[in-house]
Amino acid sequence: MSALEPTTLSAERRAGWAWRPFALTLPALVLLAAVIGYPLITIVLRSLSEPEWGVQNYAWFFGAPVNLAVLQRTFAISAWVTLVCVVCAYPYAYLMTAVGPRVRLVLVLCVLIPFWVSGVVRTLSWVILLQDSGVINSLLRSADFAGIRLIRTQTGVVIGMAQVLLPFMILPLYSVMKGIDIRLVQAARSLGARPSRAFFTVYLPLSLPGVYAGAVIVFILALGFYITPALLGGPRSTMLSTLVQTQVLSLLQWGRGGAMGVVLLVTTFLLLALAAPVMRSRHREAGRR
Amino acid sequence: MLKSKLVGLGAALTLGVLTTAAFAQDKPVAGEVKEGSLKGKTLTFVSYGGIYQDGQAAALKEFVDKSGVKLLNDGPTEIAKLQAQVESGNVTWDVVDTGDLPPYVHCGKLFQKLDLSKLDVSKIPEGQVGECSVPAMNYGVVLMYNKEKYKDNPPQSWADFFDTEKFPGVRALDGSGDPTGGLLEQAFKVAGGDPKAMTAADIDKAIDVIRKLGPDTIYWKTGAESQQLAESGEADMLMMWTGRAMTAVKNGAKYAPAWQDWLVVMDQMTIPVGVKDTDAAYALLNAYLGKQSQEILAQQTSYTPINNDAQPKVDQSVAAFLTNTPERQTQGYKQNIKFWVENFPLAQEKWSALMAGN
Repeated sequence: MSALEPTTLSAERRAGWAWRPFALTLPALVLLAAVIGYPLITIVLRSLSEPEWGVQNYAWFFGAPVNLAVLQRTFAISAWVTLVCVVCAYPYAYLMTAVGPRVRLVLVLCVLIPFWVSGVVRTLSWVILLQDSGVINSLLRSADFAGIRLIRTQTGVVIGMAQVLLPFMILPLYSVMKGIDIRLVQAARSLGARPSRAFFTVYLPLSLPGVYAGAVIVFILALGFYITPALLGGPRSTMLSTLVQTQVLSLLQWGRGGAMGVVLLVTTFLLLALAAPVMRSRHREAGRR
Repeated sequence: MLKSKLVGLGAALTLGVLTTAAFAQDKPVAGEVKEGSLKGKTLTFVSYGGIYQDGQAAALKEFVDKSGVKLLNDGPTEIAKLQAQVESGNVTWDVVDTGDLPPYVHCGKLFQKLDLSKLDVSKIPEGQVGECSVPAMNYGVVLMYNKEKYKDNPPQSWADFFDTEKFPGVRALDGSGDPTGGLLEQAFKVAGGDPKAMTAADIDKAIDVIRKLGPDTIYWKTGAESQQLAESGEADMLMMWTGRAMTAVKNGAKYAPAWQDWLVVMDQMTIPVGVKDTDAAYALLNAYLGKQSQEILAQQTSYTPINNDAQPKVDQSVAAFLTNTPERQTQGYKQNIKFWVENFPLAQEKWSALMAGN
């Protein structure tokens, strides 16, 4: 065995590294190009070419107040859903890291089992719970409280959507939290920090990457929701996907439907681009600490 | 030379006579199908799934058994999907069940103009055969009200439905998709207009009448939801499909129909442009229109059959909601199809704005 061997090996490795990861992702890239890239390009093209070349579909979109109102509402509902998910998921994910393996299994199952049930079924269950003569209102009334309007309100839609999307918040949060060395918190405590101080300066910053990851996933998934707002909401909680559906399926206006999709996509990118620097700087801060 | 030409002429003549004879023999009779005539062929029938399509499949069973055709069921019907098929020249849907307006809106473009010599339409109720469609079944949109809430003073018409002062209570309307032309005409009448003289500008007036029902108004998204609204008592007055109204009452909902001006609606049967075997599609349609098929359909789905001779054996609760009795026929209100076909995009735009809370 000569002393040269390790060098040769690493050189080989270096050469290999250039293409190997790419080769491994090739199937995924091909799939993405076929099922995301191609349809997306088609949508953009149709939004600009139907019924004729030009920006008429975009002019129509921004010219109709109802479209803008619904676009704004779509983002507002998604933001509320994200907030509710963060508030509910954070303590839950933390609990998952703090308990023993058996209880953790139960907690994981509690998250995953609803996840395996179809969204429509879960939404209909919410109808039964939230409606005026439903479980919640019956309980309220039997306790001599006035009933509250939950179904066909934005509150109802946010509740239903948050429940459907909760796993997407809990799982990324949990995977980040379980990597946090809890001794750091203990160290902070031993150096005299109050529990709240130890949490806010040590634990919370370390867990933020999980919050961001979960929030982005939930927010983006929420933007495209269709069934839940349709069944739990009324006209005042209609989201953009419903309007797209009307344009494409009922009026065969593929161009207008495409334009709506593109506007939603571009607005989402813009918002994420605005949020990205905040997330990045927080990461660095967290790393420094 | 001459001889062979003569022979050729003779052969042509004979062939001509034979084909004429064959045509005479082939004059279609609704419900009849030739034994083994479609052996080895495949037809795809597209409808809306659920009990309805199951009933249609049962109605077509004899046709399948006799003709030897392989029948595939697909769905739900989406005009956008059909458009994509027609535009790409690859039409896999042979016979398509649609809502009442699309065959008129897209006649000749997505749906074939029907050759009525290939169908027996003599038993179809009057005025229901379109240029591109025959009816698939009849049903109604009916006003259902809570008997316990309105007791001795029940609503009797759409005018009462829109009168929230005289008849307080939560209303529920069909928000499942397209606007219902007949309802908009009734709303326009409440606004003081004459539905027969309705113009495009009047659509707004009609929609305003509906908007005035207020923010508590429920727009149901599915037939099942409308049924649930009646069974749970969430809504005091509902606009409902007769099939769902029947099931709700059967399940114990204390609701009753106000039949005056119930809205006549139907599903349509169509053959898309560009199907591979048009004659096979016609054979299916013709079998579907038969008396026996229509009886099976009505018995399984509780929808009203579209063959005048059909006498389905149904129990009383179903019979109470069939719409082809003489009494119902005089009470029914027919929308102005021509007007709604011409103004479909405009009406849809206004309607979906209402549906989006604006």
